[in-house]
Amino acid sequence: MLVDHQREMARSRSGQVGIALLLIILLLAILAPVLATQHPLTQTADSFRGPSWKHPLGTNHAGQDIWSQLVFGARTSLLTGFMVAGISTALSAVIGGSAALIGGVYERIITLIVDTFIVIPMILMLILFSIYINPTLDSSILVFINILILFIIILLSFYMILYMGWIGFIIFIPIVFLAFISRKLLSDISIISFIISFVCWQGGARIVRAQTLSLKERPYVSAARKFGAGTGYILRRHILPELGPILAAEFISCVRRAVFLQAGLAFLGIGDPGVVSWGSMISDARDWIFMDVWKTWLVPPGTALSATIVAVTLIGHSLESVLDPRLRDDFYASH
Amino acid sequence: MLTRLNLITYATALVVIVSLNFLLPRLMPGDPLMAIFGDVALVHMSPQLQESLTERFSLDQTLGQQFIAYWAALLQGDLGYSYYYNASVTKVICGRLHWTLLLAGLSLLLSTILGIVLGIESGWRRGSKVDGSILTGMVALSGFPDFWLGLLLLLLFGVHIQILPLYGAESIYSGLTGFVHLLDIGKHLLLPLIALTLARLTGGYLLTRNAMVGVLKEPYILVARAKGLTPGTIKYHHAGRNSMLPVMTLTGIWIGRMVTGVLFIETVFAYPGIGFLTYEALTYRDYPLLQGVLLMTTACVLAANFIVDILCSRMDPRLSHAR
Repeated sequence: MLVDHQREMARSRSGQVGIALLLIILLLAILAPVLATQHPLTQTADSFRGPSWKHPLGTNHAGQDIWSQLVFGARTSLLTGFMVAGISTALSAVIGGSAALIGGVYERIITLIVDTFIVIPMILMLILFSIYINPTLDSSILVFINILILFIIILLSFYMILYMGWIGFIIFIPIVFLAFISRKLLSDISIISFIISFVCWQGGARIVRAQTLSLKERPYVSAARKFGAGTGYILRRHILPELGPILAAEFISCVRRAVFLQAGLAFLGIGDPGVVSWGSMISDARDWIFMDVWKTWLVPPGTALSATIVAVTLIGHSLESVLDPRLRDDFYASH
Repeated sequence: MLTRLNLITYATALVVIVSLNFLLPRLMPGDPLMAIFGDVALVHMSPQLQESLTERFSLDQTLGQQFIAYWAALLQGDLGYSYYYNASVTKVICGRLHWTLLLAGLSLLLSTILGIVLGIESGWRRGSKVDGSILTGMVALSGFPDFWLGLLLLLLFGVHIQILPLYGAESIYSGLTGFVHLLDIGKHLLLPLIALTLARLTGGYLLTRNAMVGVLKEPYILVARAKGLTPGTIKYHHAGRNSMLPVMTLTGIWIGRMVTGVLFIETVFAYPGIGFLTYEALTYRDYPLLQGVLLMTTACVLAANFIVDILCSRMDPRLSHAR
């Protein structure tokens, strides 16, 4: 690669701040069982208690410990974000890439599907899907889905580590670890994640297709072809590595959208009530806004959610400004 | 110029949405009436009403005949019947539309103008401290989910200082008229408007700034400088005008996405527009209403895209020549 993306990203201030913030939240999520004072869903008679040693942020209307909900909510947000990003980036890469490589009628159909879905409003479609698609899944299917998800996450993590270097390493190793230690949660949020991924892959597929089309025509590719290289070799040696940074940027922007959408859906009251999430905490606390409890109940999950999305946005922004040659030698790259 | 491909895309999108609306409830196991109206509504229905609804939706016929009946009803402007509001979906939506138009229209205007001005100023000073802090601030701002921005404003001005109303679009049963009534509406509008504008600002700003960075390298900027024009003229007249185009496209997309854009903000402020209507339909499980909103919104998006395509080629002759 001509540009050392990792070095430029590590040097940009927004990248540094974003990575640091994300790591703090990741740490909260991983250490959740240690940090929590009780199980986040345990209901007690002590409702609306102020902060104390036993309940650092007090309790909510059902007597549940808010601090415990906050740290466990980090797991839901991060895992949904990375799971959706994993699935939809994989879909984008496979569908967009194959459209560019195969061409013909197949390419035209894919383009039509992508364009169609981009036009349709995403949130409303999500709402429609999550109302009607609410299957009660068999435990054997759940186990299968579980394994599938872990497989996707690990595979993509390897890919990301490969192309994002040590930055990928310090983000994805904890994520894989988090996924392993909270497999129950992973299967609880798998359906909503699949639904969100279903509306998230189209933009990425369009970018991947355009990039692959231009890569296919590069002189060094035709040179390799003339030296007798097969399609598989060209894909492995020339196309996939060059797609790396673009897929990484797409991955990060998917994480951002997914964290936001998951919280938004939970805020609207859609989703599994047995899953602790920042969105549902905000939604619960909103009903009691006239009481003085909002300082310890409403503000913490909102701040945590914003911090997560800001962190991911900053990382994404530094990645994009490193990738966009027009914006290079810019404020962020030069400082 | 509108290409044929675009038309095909629009048509496909419409067919996909109509088919989804039609198929999703009917593919669910169990009574289709229950899937269409939700289990809560069905309990309250009399057998006569159930029968007449079954007949109305042709639910006793084959799927193919149902599909034809569904399209026939749609073409007559019949989006279905809202059980909760006891009125036709079209009527319910039309009764709420003006609030969304007011809120979304004003915020669109404000966020576009602010975004463009900030983007031009920031791009002009590229690499400076001012540019850096605006850019960082904007990127950080875009990390705030819109419902959280709304809630923060609500907590600050509605709950903590208590100078602005907490919910609604006007004081109910107040019998206000004339100027006082307008002031009341304005007071209710202020917080959702600020929240929505802030939530939308970043997109337009980033696009303008990026375009500005590119435009400033063009030869005609050098010519303008050589002619001795003032920096203000170059900034706004030569560079700024050409940096606005991508934002225009974005604005068009936003016009179409008006309903989805205001969904969370209207919910937070209980502002009685289409977004809040969607939330209510969801809460009361009024599925026909929800589907009506989805269909109408998609139609809006398609129409907006169509208009933007035409406008953009008018504003930038290069686009129509390129096709």
